[in-house]
Amino acid sequence: MKLRNILLSVMSASLLIFSGCTKKQNPNEKILNLISVTEIKGYDPIQADDLYSGREISKIYEGLLQYHWLKMPYELVPNLAAEMPTISKDGITYTFKLRQGVKFQDDIAFPGGKGREMEASDFVYSIKRMADSRNQSTGWWTLDGKLKGLNEWRDKNSKLAVSNYDEEVEGLKAIDKYTLQFKLAKTFPQFIYTLAMPFAYAVPKEVVAKYGKEFINHPVGTGPYVLPIFDQGKKITYTKNPTFREKFYPSDASPELKHLLGDAGKRLPLVDKVVVYVMKESQPAWLKLNKGEVDYYSVPKDNFASAVKDNKLSDELTAKGFILEIAPQLDVTYTAFNFENKLFHNKKLRQAMYMAYDEGKANTLFYNNTAFPAQSIIPPGIAGINPNYKNPFKGPKLEEAKKLLAEAGYPGGIGLPELKYDIPDSTTSRQMGEYFQKQMEQIGVKIKILSSPWPEFQAKVKKKSVEIYGLAWGADYPDAENFLQLFYGPNKSPGANGSNYDEPGFNKEFEVATQMQDSPERTAKYEKMNKFLAEEVVALFGVHRQAYIMEQGWLRNYHPTDLHHDAVQYLNIDTAKKAELIKKF
Amino acid sequence: MNLYAYIFRRLLYVIPVLLGVCLIIFVLFNLVAPDPAYTLLGKHATLKQIAELHHELGMDKPYFMQYLDTVKTAFTFDFGYSWSSKQNIWEMIKTGAGPSLAITGPLFVFSNIIAISLALLVAFYRGKLIDKFVLILSIAGMSIPSLAVVLFGQYFFAYKLGWFEISGYEFGFPNFIPYVILPIILYIVISFGADTRFYRTVILDEAYQDYVRTARSKGLSELKVMFKHVLKNSMIPILTNIIIQIPSLILGLLFAESFFSIPGLGAMTINAINNSDFPVIKAMTIMSAVGFILFGVLTDVLYTVVDPRMKLN
Amino acid sequence: MSTEIKQSKSLLHNALLRIVSEKISLAALIIVGIYFLVAILTGAGLLASDWGKEIGASYMAPSSISYFGTDIFGRSVLLKTLKATETAVVIGLVVSVIAIVIGTTLGMIAGYFGGFIDEIIVWFYTTFSSIPNIMLLVAIAFILGKGTTTIFLSLGLTSWVGLCRIVRAEVMKHKEREYIHAANAIGASHLRKLWSHLLPNISHLLIINFTQTFDSAIKAEVVLSFLGLGVVGRPSWGTMIDDSKLELARGVWWQLAAATLAMFLIVLAFNILGDALRDALDPKLKGK
Repeated sequence: MKLRNILLSVMSASLLIFSGCTKKQNPNEKILNLISVTEIKGYDPIQADDLYSGREISKIYEGLLQYHWLKMPYELVPNLAAEMPTISKDGITYTFKLRQGVKFQDDIAFPGGKGREMEASDFVYSIKRMADSRNQSTGWWTLDGKLKGLNEWRDKNSKLAVSNYDEEVEGLKAIDKYTLQFKLAKTFPQFIYTLAMPFAYAVPKEVVAKYGKEFINHPVGTGPYVLPIFDQGKKITYTKNPTFREKFYPSDASPELKHLLGDAGKRLPLVDKVVVYVMKESQPAWLKLNKGEVDYYSVPKDNFASAVKDNKLSDELTAKGFILEIAPQLDVTYTAFNFENKLFHNKKLRQAMYMAYDEGKANTLFYNNTAFPAQSIIPPGIAGINPNYKNPFKGPKLEEAKKLLAEAGYPGGIGLPELKYDIPDSTTSRQMGEYFQKQMEQIGVKIKILSSPWPEFQAKVKKKSVEIYGLAWGADYPDAENFLQLFYGPNKSPGANGSNYDEPGFNKEFEVATQMQDSPERTAKYEKMNKFLAEEVVALFGVHRQAYIMEQGWLRNYHPTDLHHDAVQYLNIDTAKKAELIKKF
Repeated sequence: MNLYAYIFRRLLYVIPVLLGVCLIIFVLFNLVAPDPAYTLLGKHATLKQIAELHHELGMDKPYFMQYLDTVKTAFTFDFGYSWSSKQNIWEMIKTGAGPSLAITGPLFVFSNIIAISLALLVAFYRGKLIDKFVLILSIAGMSIPSLAVVLFGQYFFAYKLGWFEISGYEFGFPNFIPYVILPIILYIVISFGADTRFYRTVILDEAYQDYVRTARSKGLSELKVMFKHVLKNSMIPILTNIIIQIPSLILGLLFAESFFSIPGLGAMTINAINNSDFPVIKAMTIMSAVGFILFGVLTDVLYTVVDPRMKLN
Repeated sequence: MSTEIKQSKSLLHNALLRIVSEKISLAALIIVGIYFLVAILTGAGLLASDWGKEIGASYMAPSSISYFGTDIFGRSVLLKTLKATETAVVIGLVVSVIAIVIGTTLGMIAGYFGGFIDEIIVWFYTTFSSIPNIMLLVAIAFILGKGTTTIFLSLGLTSWVGLCRIVRAEVMKHKEREYIHAANAIGASHLRKLWSHLLPNISHLLIINFTQTFDSAIKAEVVLSFLGLGVVGRPSWGTMIDDSKLELARGVWWQLAAATLAMFLIVLAFNILGDALRDALDPKLKGK
């Protein structure tokens, strides 16, 4: 009978199940084990618009500039460039001398399978690739209108059957093999920050040509690690790039990072292998850390109470050698108004809502009281914020809020329509929405919560079909301009100014400030603008979050930051300590 | 009527159904669904970029051409590229099929064996206490929300007791085994109720047929009656019920896969839904529709081949 | 012809008698009754109207103050569970009505008229049922945006195929019966034959189907909540279960337990009731 055969095969299958076992890593090998909390969207630098893809790409590819690993606030230093660029007096021409003898990683796309030397023309090619409308790069905004002739090149080529990369662009030239020159359309001091972003990494054209659409799975850069093929799995294993140039661990540091100088002068990268596990759910990742299988991970919100007390790890965790790293993040959360809706032009209404909102309690509920209350849009850690400034309209000041609401023309909320509050559809967002609703209820402002999947939420913001909505903004680069532009009129939706705030006076100030080189005058201007946004209450500013990262006692040189995409090359494993500590797990 | 002619006609009917499926997909995702451009271009998009993207994606083509594109996809399985991961969708499906089958395969085998054996047992002891007990147990099993079973099972057996891997997956046999055991057990718990009840009904239906009574009256032992007559004759509905499950094996387990971080087709579908990744959603819809339609034909044909009482029409 | 109608009425009556006389199905009926009562009371604001009030600290464990503990905002989980009953019952009712109206109408038309109309309707539901429900749910939610209407429509529009098939087959059988021939003889209109002759004779199918659709609608709400398409602004069992996927890490199990238990009981009751109804109303269909 058929049934018997099935039974037999089931029995043999179950035998196999119980004979299966998992492999363990050799403790003496220097292997970093890391977590990525989102899927990796392939390895094409020009699409690296999220932090996590940026971090993976930066293991393989490199750019002209990078942030100094041990300097905070962030400081740009040369990477593939031999030195910092010479900038013409008018701030228009940037000339880079490239490092010589840098080799692309070996790949069959090159003649003989040997990686060739990287040249200035590779940057010209890579940046044109970002500008090519066919590639739909998410990084185009970093170049849009910035380089002389590049927009024209983009427009012209979008009409051709095939883009012509041989046509010269005035603002983007390889003067010789090792000299690269940019000409800006107008002064823009933030330009050099964009050269440290993954979008502008050097990509060899042979590899792009060879793999075509599959290029995203065949990364070949100049960086410290290699990944032969990306198979979209949940475990990505990088190995040391055997042809990596001589690059050394920095020997100078900011005072608070001096303790990380132990490996100063050593050749990078410091570990042989990097394993990245893609784990979206925080609980399994946290457990992996607690089992000693991962080197660091942020403390999940719902495990915070049991792991951390008074900014110290619990005794149990400390005994296992775990160390807690706390660092402010360059971000801000806020509740935005859509200023296309005339209702929100009523300043007193905005102020009343802000005063009714109890940020402290939200901080406890949603961030375990670890975040800094935001007074305005610019986060601490970059020039333009006055640390002593307190926003006079920040709540909770219920009585004043009620008074202001009455002055706004809606005593007790009467006459005010129900306001729609849009949120992305995650569980935490829904809870935050409910909290906001309850807070506004106290002064009689009625809120209706609308939740949508993240893409649709974004589309609604971009199409201006929202009233109020909550979001967070993380820095692209450490300059206040990146935050102030969130309220710059010409950046209206679908641009980054999702509030559609458009105030001529502020726009003018913004334009002046962003043309200025870094100077005390510019910082003063930023501070003034920041204060203006705060007191106009153009948004209900929430918090600046802090990273709480728990690391293993054997991990060396680590400190949490937002912008060091290429951190992994500096990290080291103390194998002796690991062998000793792992016994306690 | 000739059997082959019947099969041919039945297969021919697949075409209008598939065209209909394409029409629904086209209406839902090309006509009325929200514009994907804003998501694809990131937080700094401009209007001009959006127009360029619409052109790249063929969204400015006439609707009829867009419908034809959808139809072409359904017949060639050339699904193009994912919007969010930028990967070739056919490759994604090939990669994801392994982990999905690693769960659904054993689950399919075990759950059917358990359900059929239980059904046979209670049919044998019908009306007795054990029959009632199993019946109540299966109705209770059917009534627990599956999400709660998965949540609680993962929390209790993997976190608290540490008996199983909490989540994750490793490619290749036998590396994946530790990761799939718990999801399989939980889904057996979820599905055994409905399955057992169905098989019990089928078997009991047969057990009350006249010829069974005749056999019994001839003095055959109950065990012999059960296996020789009842099980043999209820094999047809049982087999069709089993066959019709096959296409859904490929779809994977939507929730278990995302909970247990198993990179199968179910998790891929949930991801695509969360990212409004329409090409992937379309591909999975077409794949499963084709599966359902073809296996539907297969069961029909099987019925007619096995059961001479069925008319060919 | 009237004897057939009478017969179906007495069938219903008998069915009810049988249900009441059996202990288990009577208990199920009572449970369903209690849930509907709770739903009506909360809907009228007589029960759990202050579910939104904070009664204590965030995530308080079950105690004598709050039998099911509190949620993130310190709201009573018990009151939320009660209020969510209303949400569930409304979803179950509306979805069933939508599904039954569509399924019955299309099924009767197909079965009664036959021919080309039948083929079109069969083609339509074959096509429709070839697409996995989850995809349809998501697509409809994309189009209509979020909200309770979306849940009603998306679940209603995806649950009519089964009933449509059964109704079509049943009507085809009845079409050949004497009472329809008799109605033909006296020149009754199509509408009259469908409405006052055929419908009463298939009504038991609708009742059986109602219990199934009600059940699956309540279960589907959990799935929608998990996908972020659930009810917002008022408690539902689905969102409570969704909340608990994060809370379990803190050891907060009471929301999951309360919502699961509440849901389990009514789904179980409906399952038992459905079985009992089926056995009583349609002996041929038993268990299928």
